[in-house]
Amino acid sequence: MNLQQVGQSKSSNGYGRRKYEKGATKSDSKIPPGKSNTSGVAEVTGSKSGTYESPSHDRLVYVTTCLLGHHVEVQVKNGSIYSGIFHATNTEKDFGIILKVARLIKDSSLQGQTSSVETVSKATSKTLIIPAKELVQVIAKDVAVTRDGQPSESHYDVHQDIMVDSVISQSRHVEMGRELQRWVPDDDYPQCPELENIFDGSWNRGWDQFETNKTLFGVNSTFNEELYTTKLEKGPQMKELEQKALRIAKEIEGEDTHDLHLAEERGRYHDNFDIDEETRFSSVYRGKGVDDSGYDEDEETRLDSHNSETFGDITGSVIKKLGEISGRKGNNGAQTWSNFSKMDHSQPSLSNTGVDLGRSRSDDHAKQLASELSTQNYSFSDGESRIQNSASDRNETSGSATEENQQAEDVHLSKSEDLRPPHNLKNAVSVSEKGESLPNTTSYTPSHIISKALEKTVLCGEFTGTSASGKSNEETKVANSRVRVGSATSSGSDNVGDVAVSSGPGLSPSSSVGSLSSERSTLNPHAKEFKLNPNAKSFIPSQNPVRPRSPVSDGSFYFPANVSTVPNMPAMPMGIGVGTTFAGPQPMIYNPQVAHMPSQAYFHPNGPQYGQLLGHPRQVLYMPSYLPETPYKG
Amino acid sequence: MATVEAGGGGGGNPEELAVGCMLSIRTTLGDEFEGQVVTFDRSSNILVLQEAPSKAGPGPGPRRNIRLLKANYIKDFTFLGHADDPLDPNNCFLDLAALQAREELAIRQAEADAERIGVGVTSEAQSIFDALSKTLPVRWDKTVIVVMNEVRVSSPYNPDSVVGGTPAANERVKKVLDFERKRLQLRSSSGQ
Repeated sequence: MNLQQVGQSKSSNGYGRRKYEKGATKSDSKIPPGKSNTSGVAEVTGSKSGTYESPSHDRLVYVTTCLLGHHVEVQVKNGSIYSGIFHATNTEKDFGIILKVARLIKDSSLQGQTSSVETVSKATSKTLIIPAKELVQVIAKDVAVTRDGQPSESHYDVHQDIMVDSVISQSRHVEMGRELQRWVPDDDYPQCPELENIFDGSWNRGWDQFETNKTLFGVNSTFNEELYTTKLEKGPQMKELEQKALRIAKEIEGEDTHDLHLAEERGRYHDNFDIDEETRFSSVYRGKGVDDSGYDEDEETRLDSHNSETFGDITGSVIKKLGEISGRKGNNGAQTWSNFSKMDHSQPSLSNTGVDLGRSRSDDHAKQLASELSTQNYSFSDGESRIQNSASDRNETSGSATEENQQAEDVHLSKSEDLRPPHNLKNAVSVSEKGESLPNTTSYTPSHIISKALEKTVLCGEFTGTSASGKSNEETKVANSRVRVGSATSSGSDNVGDVAVSSGPGLSPSSSVGSLSSERSTLNPHAKEFKLNPNAKSFIPSQNPVRPRSPVSDGSFYFPANVSTVPNMPAMPMGIGVGTTFAGPQPMIYNPQVAHMPSQAYFHPNGPQYGQLLGHPRQVLYMPSYLPETPYKG
Repeated sequence: MATVEAGGGGGGNPEELAVGCMLSIRTTLGDEFEGQVVTFDRSSNILVLQEAPSKAGPGPGPRRNIRLLKANYIKDFTFLGHADDPLDPNNCFLDLAALQAREELAIRQAEADAERIGVGVTSEAQSIFDALSKTLPVRWDKTVIVVMNEVRVSSPYNPDSVVGGTPAANERVKKVLDFERKRLQLRSSSGQ
C-alpha cells in the first residue's frame, strides 16, 4: 500500500527486490498486494506512512532473506540447538522457521554434559520445521548483509567451490579479488600426523628421509646423489661459479623466444586468440622438419640390422639347421641364396660370409637343408627370431646364415631338432610364411636373418640344436650358436652333442665371433650371474620333435637389452623376454662343464638368445657336454 | 517489550531509536551476548542484532554475525551505547537467484558433511574419524569406521579394534589411529 510495501516482483534479474516471501519455494504464494516495486531498496526505511512496524518489519524480512541458504543455529525453547541450512521463514506470520539438513547439536535434555566423550551425534533430518513458539533465537555467522549494489558479485559465492587458483591469484581480473591467506590449520581440529609440516622451513630441513626410513622400516638406502647428477665441486671457486651460473641463467631466461611454452614460462603471455588451446598447452611440437612418415619403410631394415648386430649369429642357426635339415634342397638353397644375397646390407661380414659359404656349400648343406627345409627360408633375423631359412643352403653354409624359413621349416626343422630354439624358426616362419618360393621371400628378410646372425656367431660351439648332429656340424656349429633357428624344436637335445661345437668350417665362429664382438651388443655386461638353482623344476623336453609351430606370437619378440649373458642351462627353455615357460628359475649361468663360450655376451646356447622366441620348451642349445635329454635340473 | 521502551521515549518510533543501539543482553536460557540492534519487529517480536564476526570472511562486503532473538526470551539487557544504523537503507539489495543457488550449494555441502558424521557416536569417535579422513578414504557404517572399504574400526576405536583388510592396510590404519589418539590426548590435556 505504501510505497514501501514491497510488492511482489518476480524479477528475474535476480537483482531485485523480491517479494519477501522468503524461501524459494514460497515465492509464488502469498504475495501481498501492493505495488510491485522494482526500485532500489531504499524503501526499507524512510517511509513512515506505512504501517507502524513496516520499516522494522521490512528490515527483519530483509535480514532474514539474507540468511537464506546460510548455515544457522537455532535455539529452541527447551534449550536445544539445531543446526542446519536456513530455508524459509514465514514472514507473514510469526516467523516460524524451516531448516534443511538439520541436526540436533545440543540436546537440552542432556544437561550439563559437555564432556566430549559423552556427546553423541544425531542423525540429520532433511527438513526441520521449528514453529515460532519454539523459537528462541537464530544465530548466523558471517552473513553478508549488504552488498555494494552489485548483484553479480554473488557469483563469487556461488562458484566458489570451483574457483581455480589461477583465477584467484591473478588479481588482474578479479575486481572482487581477495587476499590470499596462508592456510593455517585449525587449532582445535585434530591434525593428521601425516600432514605435519615436516617440510616447513628451508631446504635444510633437518629431516633425513633415509634415516627415517631406516628406523621405521629397516630399509637401507643406497642412494647416492651423484649417480643422478653431476658432481658439484665444492671449493673456493664455488662462489664464482655459482654467480656465473646465475648470470647465465638470467640471460637465458630473459631471452625472447618464439616458442609459446617457453614464453609462458618466462612470463610473457601472448594474447593471441588465434592460437588454439591445443597449440598453447599441448606439449607436442609440430613444427617443420618433423617427419614421421618415413619411418616405416626404413624401420624394418633398421631393426633388422640392429637385430643382426645383436644377435648376429643367429643366422648361424641356419647353419645348424642346415645340417639337420639335411634337406637336399639344394635347389632351394640356391634359390634362397639369391635371396640371401640381399642380406648384405645388414650384416656385412657374417652375412656375407654366410651367404658365401652358403653358396659354396650350398651343395652339401643346401641339400641337407633343402631337403629338410624344402622351401624353407631361413630368415634369420639377426639373431632374433627372425631366422629365415632360406632354403637351407644358406643355412648350411654358414652358421651364419641361418635363415630358416619358418614355415615349412618349422616342421622340418623341428625334425632337425636341436635346432636352436624354435623360436628362431618362428621368426623364420613368419617370414617364410610368405610362401614357398624362396626367392620371393621378402627381399630383406633374408637379410636380417643373415645379417645379424652371421655377425654374431656366437656360436662358440653352441650348437643350436640343428639336428645336424654331425651333419652339418660346421654349420651347425655355427648355426647353432647363432641361430637357434628355432625351428628345430625339440629334441635338439639329441644333437647337442654334435652340434655342440663345430664351429663351422665356413665361418670360424669363434673368429667371427671375435670379430663380431666388436659389434655393438645390447647384452648387458653387468648382468647378474646365473646361479644354479638346484631346486628348480627340471625341464623335460617333449620327445616329439615335430611340434606344430606356434604362431609367432609365442612370446613377444622382444629383445631385452640386458638379457642375461649367461649360458643357459641346456634344455632350458630360454626365452628372453618371453617370460613364459621357464621351468625353473631364470637360467643363468650355468654350468662349469660347458665349454666356455667366448664372448659370453653374445650367445648362449640355450641362452637368452635373441632369436629365440621361446615360449615353450624348445630344446635349446646345448652345451657340448651336455646330454640332451638330461632333464633340466634346475 | 521492554526493549522497545529502553530504546527511547514513548510514542514515535521507538524501534527506530532502538536501531543502532548497542545492547548487552541476557536470555532466559542463559546466553549472554552483545550486539547492535538492526531492527526490532513488533509483530513477530523478534529483535535482530548484529555482531562483528570474529574473523574476516571471504568475499566482498562486510560480514556480520546476525542473531534473531525472540524478545520474550530476553531476561535483561543493558544499554551500552548508541551507534549508527547498521543497515544502510540505500544499499540493501537481494539477489534472489544467488540466494537460491547458495542454498542449493549449501544443502549439497551439508549433505556431504552429514555423510561424514557418524550417528550415535561420541565426539571422540568423530574426531578420530575426521583425523583419519584427512589422508584415508573413510566412511561410517553405523558406528563403525570403515577405512578404504576394507579395514573396520569399531568402538572403542583403539588400535586393537582395527580389523580386516590386508595386513599392510591394517597396519597403516593402526598407526594412524594411534597417532591420532596421542594427538587428541595431547590436545585435550594441553587445554582444549
